[in-house]
Amino acid sequence: MAGSGTNVVSRSSKESAGGIGRLTRGRRGRAARTIRQGELRTAALFIAPALALYALFMLIPFANSIYFSLTNWNGATALKEFVGLDNYIAMFRDPTLYLALRNNVVWIVLGTAAPVVLGLMLALVLWTVPRGALFFRTVFFLPFILPIVVVGLVWGWIYHPLFGVLNRVLATVGLESLGRGWLGDASTALVATLVAAIWGAFGFVTVLLYTALQNVNTDMVDAAKVDGATWFERARFVVIPAIAPVLTLVTAITLIGGFAVIDFILIMTGGGPGNASTVLGYYAYENGFELNRLGYGSALSMFITVLSLVAAVAFVKFRERER
Amino acid sequence: MERGAPAVASGVSPRVKNIGAAAFKYAILILFAVITLYPLLLVVSTALKDPTDITTDPFALFTSLDVGTLGDAWTLGGFGGYAFNTVYITLPTVAGVIVLSTLAGYALARFEFPMRNLVFFTFMLGLMIPFTSVMIPLFYLLRDLQLLGSLWAVILPGVAGSAGFGVPLGVFLMRSFYQDLPGELAEAARVDGATEFQVFRRVMLPLSAPGVAVLGVLVFFQTWNQFLMPLLFLPGEENRPLSTGLYIFASGRTQEYELIAAGSIIMIVPVVIIFVIFQRQFVKGITAGALKG
Repeated sequence: MAGSGTNVVSRSSKESAGGIGRLTRGRRGRAARTIRQGELRTAALFIAPALALYALFMLIPFANSIYFSLTNWNGATALKEFVGLDNYIAMFRDPTLYLALRNNVVWIVLGTAAPVVLGLMLALVLWTVPRGALFFRTVFFLPFILPIVVVGLVWGWIYHPLFGVLNRVLATVGLESLGRGWLGDASTALVATLVAAIWGAFGFVTVLLYTALQNVNTDMVDAAKVDGATWFERARFVVIPAIAPVLTLVTAITLIGGFAVIDFILIMTGGGPGNASTVLGYYAYENGFELNRLGYGSALSMFITVLSLVAAVAFVKFRERER
Repeated sequence: MERGAPAVASGVSPRVKNIGAAAFKYAILILFAVITLYPLLLVVSTALKDPTDITTDPFALFTSLDVGTLGDAWTLGGFGGYAFNTVYITLPTVAGVIVLSTLAGYALARFEFPMRNLVFFTFMLGLMIPFTSVMIPLFYLLRDLQLLGSLWAVILPGVAGSAGFGVPLGVFLMRSFYQDLPGELAEAARVDGATEFQVFRRVMLPLSAPGVAVLGVLVFFQTWNQFLMPLLFLPGEENRPLSTGLYIFASGRTQEYELIAAGSIIMIVPVVIIFVIFQRQFVKGITAGALKG
């Protein structure tokens, strides 16, 4: 991919190197072919810096990721021993892969459904209140712009076994027995982390849907109401279809990102306790940077890429059909 | 536009029903506002606690008021130095993305040349490749280029979009922005004898200022907040930014909640200020990018 990308530029600048500049020719009635040559050269100059940097730090590492995944390199030796598909075979026999994949699926399903349901509800409410919508919109959006580090730390305090507000609230309502160190308990670590992520995302979804609602024709809604449609019927058959593209989009963003999630897990649980809250991205990080199993880590990262790309392509297809 | 079944059908008068419905809606909004704001208040309250209070009850809201902690975090906690590093990373990244993507986006929107679509889709691939897929080789590439540990180790991949956004997002946004601009002005400048670069620099770039603002704000947030790249590529203390500074501080000095909270505030305040100023651009950028994609 890197090769074909850079070729476009280098070849086009060569072709036009001897060509006459666009402007000199342009004054004389500008032959279409000459303009094209001038444009080739200018376009190449305009695009080259961005493409060069992008190729160096994105396309080449990506290609190397594929290469590394076919070796058993540990990062220290000079030689990378080619092992074919061994890493991939080992990967699909690794029980931790399935644990991580299951956690990713939980993360994606809950992490998509919760913000979309909450966001849709809040957007509809915001859309219909007489005043104050702007204020609440701003408040809801705040968590989305916060650094994940800060979100993770603060939610760690909320989940604190001794001082955390969650256990205190549970104790106050007589559910003290449910109290625990939420991030240190294998049965709750993943979901507790996910709740922090949902807290960070629902306002984003709300604002996106609220913006989409601004374009909904209120006459249609009123007409449906005159015809006797209930609140639910109006939402289901008039409003939601009108904002369906944005709903699909929000779902796609969380879906595609959901396979690659890593920050929240790394900051809040470190995949633990044990491997209880590990996800594919964290498992790849662990192998690549802590266990020095670069080949295996790269194979995992290729697996993530494939899942993300499949999700992205499925989304594009779905959108095309929607239109 | 009030909700609920038609008033005629129910026994209650429409007016009372309206008030009831509105009250219910505001109750929902206030509930979620509290859920949204509580963690933020928790940070502020914890940062304001005095040392004795922090050991007895660190997370009770606003039980003491000690404003000295912020200064301690800035100097003793080292967050002042981290803050400068964050600035040194963020500003060049934002500038780099803007310069490279306006140029490339303009060319992709305005010039005809072979394989234009291929170049564009090559850039768009970058929006779909997650950071996890490049992080391991990127580490060794930076090591071989002897950039590991220097600010460039985060700035250059940041501009390239290795950890998301960057040039791929910029090219995407700016290309569609330039496609929507009318071409007559550029044509007029060309007739007046301006070079292609002058046309871009003097005519088209100023016209695209709103698009540039959107892009700049998006990249600012992402770069200021980014965590993984500094964690992996800036291992030393010297160039450590706020994100990893805070993370490493919090994992080492677990009991000093007031300093962790104060460090969080130092990191959050610029973000919130920029957000309040550029809220419109930010929301517009997110939605425009999202809707067109």
